[in-house]
Amino acid sequence: MSIATVARKDFEDAVRSQMLWSLTGLLVGLIVLVYGAIWYFEGNLPSSDLASILALPLQVIVPLAALIVGYMAIVGERRSGSIKILLSLPPTREDVVAGKLLGRSGVVAVAVLAAFVVATLLTGLLFGEVPVSGLAGLAVATLLLGFAFVGIAVGFSAAVASRGRAMAGVVGTYLVFLGFWDVLVGGIYRVVTGSFPASPITPDSPIEAWALALQRLNPMEAYGVVASSVLDQQVFALTLQFPIGINVFGDAPLEDIVVGEVPFYLSEWFSALVLLAWILLPVLVGYLRFRTADLG
Amino acid sequence: MSYKNVHSFSLGNYDSGINVSRADAGNDMPAIETDSLSKRFGDVVAVDDVSLQIDDGEVFGFLGPNGAGKSTTINMLLDFARPTDGSATVLGYDVREESQEIRKRVGVLPEGFDLYERLSGRKHIEFAQRAKGANGDPEEYLARVGLDGDAANRNAGGYSKGMKQRLALGMALVGDPELLIMDEPSSGLDPTGIQEMQEIVRSEAERGTTVFFSSHILDHVEEVCDRIGVMNEGELVAIGTLDELHAQIGGDAHLELSVDDVSDRTVETLTDIDGISGATARNGHLDVSCSRSAAKAKAINHVEAAGTTVLDIQVEDQDIDDLFAELTGNGAKEEAETIAEEVPA
Repeated sequence: MSIATVARKDFEDAVRSQMLWSLTGLLVGLIVLVYGAIWYFEGNLPSSDLASILALPLQVIVPLAALIVGYMAIVGERRSGSIKILLSLPPTREDVVAGKLLGRSGVVAVAVLAAFVVATLLTGLLFGEVPVSGLAGLAVATLLLGFAFVGIAVGFSAAVASRGRAMAGVVGTYLVFLGFWDVLVGGIYRVVTGSFPASPITPDSPIEAWALALQRLNPMEAYGVVASSVLDQQVFALTLQFPIGINVFGDAPLEDIVVGEVPFYLSEWFSALVLLAWILLPVLVGYLRFRTADLG
Repeated sequence: MSYKNVHSFSLGNYDSGINVSRADAGNDMPAIETDSLSKRFGDVVAVDDVSLQIDDGEVFGFLGPNGAGKSTTINMLLDFARPTDGSATVLGYDVREESQEIRKRVGVLPEGFDLYERLSGRKHIEFAQRAKGANGDPEEYLARVGLDGDAANRNAGGYSKGMKQRLALGMALVGDPELLIMDEPSSGLDPTGIQEMQEIVRSEAERGTTVFFSSHILDHVEEVCDRIGVMNEGELVAIGTLDELHAQIGGDAHLELSVDDVSDRTVETLTDIDGISGATARNGHLDVSCSRSAAKAKAINHVEAAGTTVLDIQVEDQDIDDLFAELTGNGAKEEAETIAEEVPA
């Protein structure tokens, strides 16, 4: 009840700010741009390929947008002092954190869904046949990706007391996931095994399952796995690749490139769980910090 | 009003006779009770061992210069800040463990708050109603704080400080709280706004609402309060009614008369007059101590009736401002006045 009250107010606030509209405009504009370019340069692309192309720009933009939407959610109210108005009313701090997560997720959801509605319309208009189930599956995966980054942003927002720290937290997180995750995984691999992983990973030079699992803890990688699964087409994660990281090229089946049996944590559903965990865990950690914070 | 049983016995300390359920106290239960409440920020003691009790239905003024620890105390009552020592209850509920129960029943006007600048005044009231599960017409609350009409539909971002203060008060009044906690309610208000605020406090008190509010400006407190607590440097230095505080500090008014000649008998009989606590004569000066200000005129009449000519009169009043200054140390009063002048009229 209280959570819904907080979420509703937060969403109303976002509607009245330019946040919701600018984000929706950004995503819809991106879709239109991508479709226009494909239509212009590749007029007779099979429409089933469209969705997997669409997944590439989405995985860069949606996390960034979600982080921007979420990072001021709580710390913004702490800095302005409106948190005192909010917490003078019955909602608990728990309600506030959960309500903020819901409210900001709602903002991201509206933008993502609007983008997919436009994508569906444009597919029909420009390419004829509409791969409904593929687009719907990708929409769900993209929502999960967006919510994961809202979770990370709201977590930071709850944990820190200044706007600067929240911003540093989300910018740092984005850069790590986009650019340096591979280096981290490669470094851990080096520490554990004494050498960097083979590059690229092929059936002739397979990779240990645990190392691939570490790579897939990155929500952007997890999105790639989930999107590939729902589209039945390879969707590469658009993260920076380094020679010392785990570079899987081509579409060799997992059985061929993993040492030994493929464990459950390399299943596609497990990557969906990873995205869910990224929604909840950062928020939980942020809440634990926020719960005992002095708001004077 | 009835209170639910908020403290159940735990088997571990059933033999402690002191651990009596608060609900047993019924309506006699204090609205606010703090027990050795303390708050440190590192080496700084913001609130030091404050124990006070505010009764049901009382209007209590929490007075002290800026930085005296008033807001920190209030923040602890609302669970915005956690005590480092001691404990407190509001309406019988523990401030740490049962904060939500408190905030369901209390209206709060916090200090240093801000509103949601993109939401209208009406939206704010509606939000408070939803959060408190209270029904009713938002207009009613807006009207009570003088924000009806055009202002109600404007976004709070365009409100003046005074309007924000009123809207926050309107939100505090939602759901007819048993207790109003207001931190510096007159800050940002012009003199008319302050009067209206006092009017609202009075009418709330008449409805049986307990009011606890803080101020660094004495005038705003003495007008409406039944009792006053004075904070200074984190400590509660005095508590009581205005009269009690006067008595506690021993603040007599002094009347100094320059006279041509006065007999010993006249001086002696002066002290028979009700309200005159002492009189001494020396070198044409007659010094009269009055515990009540009305006694001053009687003293002058008495002296003149005895045939003495009064050449000059000097009155040194121990007024409430002096009392405040005395309690909070030198300079506190001046500081308070300076701040009062900074408030835009």
